[in-house]
Amino acid sequence: MKRPFILIMVAIFLLPLAVRPAIASEIWIFAIFGLGLNLLLGYTGLLSFGQSTFFGSAAYVAGWLMKIHGVNAFLALGIGVGVGAASAAVVGYLCVQRSGLYFIMLTFALNQLFYFTAYQWTSVTGGEDGMPGVPRPALLGIDFKDPLIYYAFVSLLFLFCLWLMKRIVESPLGKILQAIRENEVRAEAVGYNVPRFKLLAFVIGGAFSGLAGVLYAMLFGIVPLEAISFVFSGNVVFATLIGGSGSLYGPVIGSFVFIWLSESMSTVWARWPLLLGMAFVIVVLFLRGGVVEAWHKLSLKFFLRK
Amino acid sequence: MSFVAAQILNGIATGMLYALMGLGLSLITGILNIPNFAHGALFAVGAYLLATVAVAIGNFWIALLVAPLGVALLGLAIEYVGIRRLYAAGHDYQLLFTFGLALIISESIILIWGPIGSSYLPPEVLRGGADLGFTMYPKYRLFVMLAAGLLVFATWLFLEKTRYGAIMRAGIENKEMVSLLGIDIKMLFTVAFALGAYLAGIAGALIAPIRGLNPSMGVDMLGIAFVVVALGGLGNLLGAIAAGLIIGVAQALVAAYWTEASTVVIYAVMAVVLLVRPQGLFGIR
Repeated sequence: MKRPFILIMVAIFLLPLAVRPAIASEIWIFAIFGLGLNLLLGYTGLLSFGQSTFFGSAAYVAGWLMKIHGVNAFLALGIGVGVGAASAAVVGYLCVQRSGLYFIMLTFALNQLFYFTAYQWTSVTGGEDGMPGVPRPALLGIDFKDPLIYYAFVSLLFLFCLWLMKRIVESPLGKILQAIRENEVRAEAVGYNVPRFKLLAFVIGGAFSGLAGVLYAMLFGIVPLEAISFVFSGNVVFATLIGGSGSLYGPVIGSFVFIWLSESMSTVWARWPLLLGMAFVIVVLFLRGGVVEAWHKLSLKFFLRK
Repeated sequence: MSFVAAQILNGIATGMLYALMGLGLSLITGILNIPNFAHGALFAVGAYLLATVAVAIGNFWIALLVAPLGVALLGLAIEYVGIRRLYAAGHDYQLLFTFGLALIISESIILIWGPIGSSYLPPEVLRGGADLGFTMYPKYRLFVMLAAGLLVFATWLFLEKTRYGAIMRAGIENKEMVSLLGIDIKMLFTVAFALGAYLAGIAGALIAPIRGLNPSMGVDMLGIAFVVVALGGLGNLLGAIAAGLIIGVAQALVAAYWTEASTVVIYAVMAVVLLVRPQGLFGIR
């Protein structure tokens, strides 16, 4: 319990030395996004393939308010959390009534509803070109335009989110969600209102996604259309799975690996999603269980051979 | 009046293609119990193959025969090499695998055919309009309605009236029992995937002369196929047709008055239907 925390603190301090501050910030933002998904995927056993709905909606709404109405950063982040939670409540309400493969398909289809709305509503979202000009307003007199200061701010928020998520999954609520994951019928029989708890998991996950979405918009100064598309939904699922959805720290490790990989690949080749697709296929066929297990397997093999 | 009628006919034509997509997906999803995120990519391959083969040999009809078979073969390979190894894995890994395949296929389409869309004209015989009495209507779309109708009918005949079709329906209901009865379940899975891929491929081939070709056509259609299955139910033939026609006609009618909303309306209709009937149109499972 202590060791992962120390490792993360070390990573937070060393990361800006290794990569550009923007990439370093993106890693922790994506980790917040992943924490939100993992409450659904890892702890409740709900495979949502529509997380970018909440990420993107929050980014558009808060970004637009900051850009047009000069809303301050604190309020914008709060609004982002609210929009993320509210959109998750709507999507969740429609999805939790179905299970299994239907559930997965519905999260994707509703993601498409939000995506095409953003795609066509060009007067606000800019459609395919994205919504540029999102400012990074000062907060309590601190100027966030300095990339390192913004990085510190993002890191602090990430640590807060990690602490909060740890509290949530260890709380009675977290235990109920895990009970639903393990045996939905029994959880229902014991007297828990399963759909309502699933919906609650959605709303909490949506709030985390919304926060990540606003931080993302402030980081790059733009809300790209991809932020609300299936691409981001797929990326966060992939990041969480390679990190290992079984643990609290899985999505953190996953976003570390994923952002680093995608940033280094995308600068090399415009068709890098092809490589990403191959990575998906290879991971699934050969490295199921995530990085942690792969490392374990690898070291076992290594030592056994000696 | 004739304008509205023509729009409804348009909706029926595309709705039948949506039904084909949903039918193929529901066979794969129902029998193999996997989320097939590569279904849209298979559809796109069907469209591109049709245009390429038709241009290469100068015959639309042979291309219409060959292109979907090519997609079925691709489906066969995908099942045999990859998906077969994932039946014991969770839905999360199955999803990641098929999503990865979709990325590989759609990026390969861009590499092979370029990132810019193109149009493809229907064959000579089917160009121009036919007089239906109340409106002039493009011949090719009438052909699509007929062809898609025949395909749905053929699928129904296969599933309901043949021995192998009965086995397939049994497979959707209870896989263990089917395999206990001594039926090669692995073979059944492979056949189901190839058949679903064939239906996706022919839907793509048929739509190419109407909508043209572009690299994002696959993922756009994937969402629609999901809508059809979510509303119509897994392995429900009638449900797929009803759902396909409802969203096809709704889309065509909205497109006539508010073009920008024509894609959103598909998903909005789904959301409204689910609000009223969470279990889908026919309420199975």
